[in-house]
Amino acid sequence: MPVILQNSHVSPEVCLMTIKNTSGRAGQFYMLRPTKVLDPLLGRPISIHDCVDGNCSFLYRIAGKGTKLMSEMRAGDTIEAYGPYGNGFEPVDSDIRLIGGGIGIAPLYFLARTHKAMYPNRVIEAYLGFVEKPFMLQYFRAVADFVYVRVGGYITADVPFEENVINYACGPNPMMKAAKEEAEKKNSKLFLSLEAHMACGVGACLGCTCPTVSGNKRVCKDGPVFLASEVSFE
Amino acid sequence: MSRLTTNLLGIQLKNPVIAASGTFGFGKEYEGYFDPSVLGGISGKGLTLHGSKGNSGIRVCETPAGMMNSIGLENPGVAHFVKHECHVMRSTGAAVICNLGGHSIEDYVKATQMINDADIDILELNISCPNVKEGGMAFGMCGKTAAEVVKKVKAVTKFPLMVKLSPNASDISEVARAVEDAGADAISLINTLLGMRIDVRSKKPIFNNVYAGVSGPAVMPIALRMVHSVCKAVKIPVVGLGGISSYTDALEFIMAGATAIQVGTATFANPFAMPQIIEGLEKYCVQNKLENISEIRGIINK
Repeated sequence: MPVILQNSHVSPEVCLMTIKNTSGRAGQFYMLRPTKVLDPLLGRPISIHDCVDGNCSFLYRIAGKGTKLMSEMRAGDTIEAYGPYGNGFEPVDSDIRLIGGGIGIAPLYFLARTHKAMYPNRVIEAYLGFVEKPFMLQYFRAVADFVYVRVGGYITADVPFEENVINYACGPNPMMKAAKEEAEKKNSKLFLSLEAHMACGVGACLGCTCPTVSGNKRVCKDGPVFLASEVSFE
Repeated sequence: MSRLTTNLLGIQLKNPVIAASGTFGFGKEYEGYFDPSVLGGISGKGLTLHGSKGNSGIRVCETPAGMMNSIGLENPGVAHFVKHECHVMRSTGAAVICNLGGHSIEDYVKATQMINDADIDILELNISCPNVKEGGMAFGMCGKTAAEVVKKVKAVTKFPLMVKLSPNASDISEVARAVEDAGADAISLINTLLGMRIDVRSKKPIFNNVYAGVSGPAVMPIALRMVHSVCKAVKIPVVGLGGISSYTDALEFIMAGATAIQVGTATFANPFAMPQIIEGLEKYCVQNKLENISEIRGIINK
């Protein structure tokens, strides 16, 4: 059973947990489940925030019973960690722009770090939006060439979508929808990392399907990263 | 012969543990965790004649020690299954159970005829899905309508017929007797229990269909009671399911009279649930000096 190396608050509502012997690519996620608990029954789908020396860290917001229990776990405790799941971000040799809303910034940090390592001469810009107090900015400042922060309102309103820069967005659905609309207006390529209620994480339960231009897709298995032009928002 | 070998309708199962419909795709999704050939059988995702996109809106949510779903039988349709998926299921090495739902008797019959061309072992007739408006569960709510569809399907299928019952019927034993009389070769139960949740922030039901199916450990004692009651009501084999998540849960269903058991929601919480149950049953047989697990089948009724 995977062991927790560290688990601490980065803000009153957001925690960072590192789990030993886990792996994955940027954009992939794990189903994390406090051991031996029946309520809640299922794992929480949490994206990988970083992975160093075979230990992944997960940035998560305390949103309900499951994440509350997770926040109370300590270094040395064991946790059920199933994954890595999902397709992850495809690395592209291009300047990139990250658009994160709230806890949606989590997978974008790993993407930025991976991208910087693969294409050191490419420019990375991060546009990060928060409802209240921002968090984890120092992480982004360490790896991105430019970090823009907005508190309140839609971060997408401030993003200069451009044809020659590839955008990656992760955040609440209204933000994703707005990002898709803006990107399409400017003919700018945009990838979305979607979030959905899910039970299994492996494509079996069909609980997380989202409508796309080519029929229903499973967020857990076919995603969570989709080209924005493929996704049909309800 | 292994201690867990189980004969279900003439099919030799390696063990009495079957993946429940709708929780195991067509058999390949959990390959990263274990070899599906260790399973007694796999019941595939519930099919409908023409396929379906399923329900819109939120499809799953959690409840204490359980979950709810309103998938709405999203599936690729019977023709696709016959052409592509039944071979995938066969290649797993577990017994192949094809689960079929429907909106009308004509649909059920047409689909059954098409499935005759598929390489499967058992047809599981779903007259108990609570999440499709056009029917599904409607057939399983009383003995008369259940018997009608079972009789028609039995007349055309070339496979052994297992009928999956709904716990939402007012008298599930009455439905069980009716489908037995109509020609069912076996019965599986229970499908999910109809439930409801409300999002207090939006002041709206969580599910677009308002009601949805409850499953998981929370429903296990209810499922066990119904399996026990149906086992006493009919002579045909009964496959028990509903909240089974450990080998002791499985033993309870077998002691109540079930020939085999299915595991569903438990796999979502713990992908290793089924291999762990199989291992637990094997150890139990060794420790209790059972030549075969069937020696304790229905033991509480003896």
